[in-house]
Amino acid sequence: MRLALELRRLDVLRPGICRLRFVLLLSAIALLPAARAQSPLADSPSRSVAHGAPLEYLFPEQVTIPAGKPSPVAFHFRIAPGFHINSHKPKEESLIPTALAIPASSGVQLASATYPAGEDYTLPLDPTTRLSVYTGDFSIQARLVAARGNHLVQASLHYQACDKSACYPPRTITVPIDVIGN
Amino acid sequence: MKRNTVVLGITLLLLAAFAWAGWANWEYRKQAAEKRLAAVEKAELVADNNGGAGDVPHFVSPLTNHPAPDFTLGDLNGKKVSLASYRGKAVLINFWATWCGPCKIETPWLVELRNQYASKGFEILGLSADDLDLDDKAKLAEEKHEIQKFGQQMHMDYPILINAGSLDKAYDGLDALPTSYYVDRSGKVVAATLGLTSKDDIENNIRKALGE
Repeated sequence: MRLALELRRLDVLRPGICRLRFVLLLSAIALLPAARAQSPLADSPSRSVAHGAPLEYLFPEQVTIPAGKPSPVAFHFRIAPGFHINSHKPKEESLIPTALAIPASSGVQLASATYPAGEDYTLPLDPTTRLSVYTGDFSIQARLVAARGNHLVQASLHYQACDKSACYPPRTITVPIDVIGN
Repeated sequence: MKRNTVVLGITLLLLAAFAWAGWANWEYRKQAAEKRLAAVEKAELVADNNGGAGDVPHFVSPLTNHPAPDFTLGDLNGKKVSLASYRGKAVLINFWATWCGPCKIETPWLVELRNQYASKGFEILGLSADDLDLDDKAKLAEEKHEIQKFGQQMHMDYPILINAGSLDKAYDGLDALPTSYYVDRSGKVVAATLGLTSKDDIENNIRKALGE
């Protein structure tokens, strides 16, 4: 009897409870992103360009090529705005060229790599010295020879980045690619 | 009616609680961020509105107005050179590398300014940040040769010290090159620059280090 009464009382209250839940849900949804977006560090601009990655590997993640036969594979990269990297053939010997490499033990061989021609670039404080660089998106046309099977290759790209006034230490990034030879 | 008032009251209370929680969360994150930034005490790049190098950002180093961290590094012949031995002189500590294009642009200016101000007690220490294979004698010799060749080509007739990468913690990360610290006669950093600045800026900083 008591239980029935309690249940009836709950039935009466249900529309109110539902409304309350609805209001709470709306409040929570409204407040959650606001609290997250207001993180002071999240909103602050990058403090130093040196801490950002000036270059990223875009794609492909996986390729299927005929086993044992040199096959074309294009590797695509993106350079962050404001940065440039030396081309594969910088104009001066002391500058570090951009170079793709594949570990010998990976089951995949880098038969050849054709790099894009660099674009001429001059620094604002020295308009007379022309550099050969890459900016924005670029791709390296490689020819790979894969043994039969699936190879998780950790290729690498060695490069050295600068902006219009400073240069950053040479870096090597991993270029992960799944090469299927069949 | 009474029930509605109660529900509305509870709702308002909960909304107030949410608002307080959001504010408290923001405040906590703000304080944590401030603590982190204070702990890291990193240098920052600030837009320079004073002309000079145009839109090249002005470098604010935490070492400015503090004693320059002392160091002892070897030169290309293995001779040890310490910053402390230059006390009484105005010193430009210039971090550079053979792969650094902007360093190549500023080096002739440095050579010229050194000749101009040497008689007033000014010296440059050129600290090469080129990576060295310290465990591989053959490679190390080759790397030293490259640094020497670069120095000769650029007529760097001031001390060239190697393995400057070992000073990265003391000298604020050395994230980019060229990086220069101008030290006055008492050993205090009076100016610092990151990246290529104009010859005029360099000269002004040298004069500042000389106390002119």
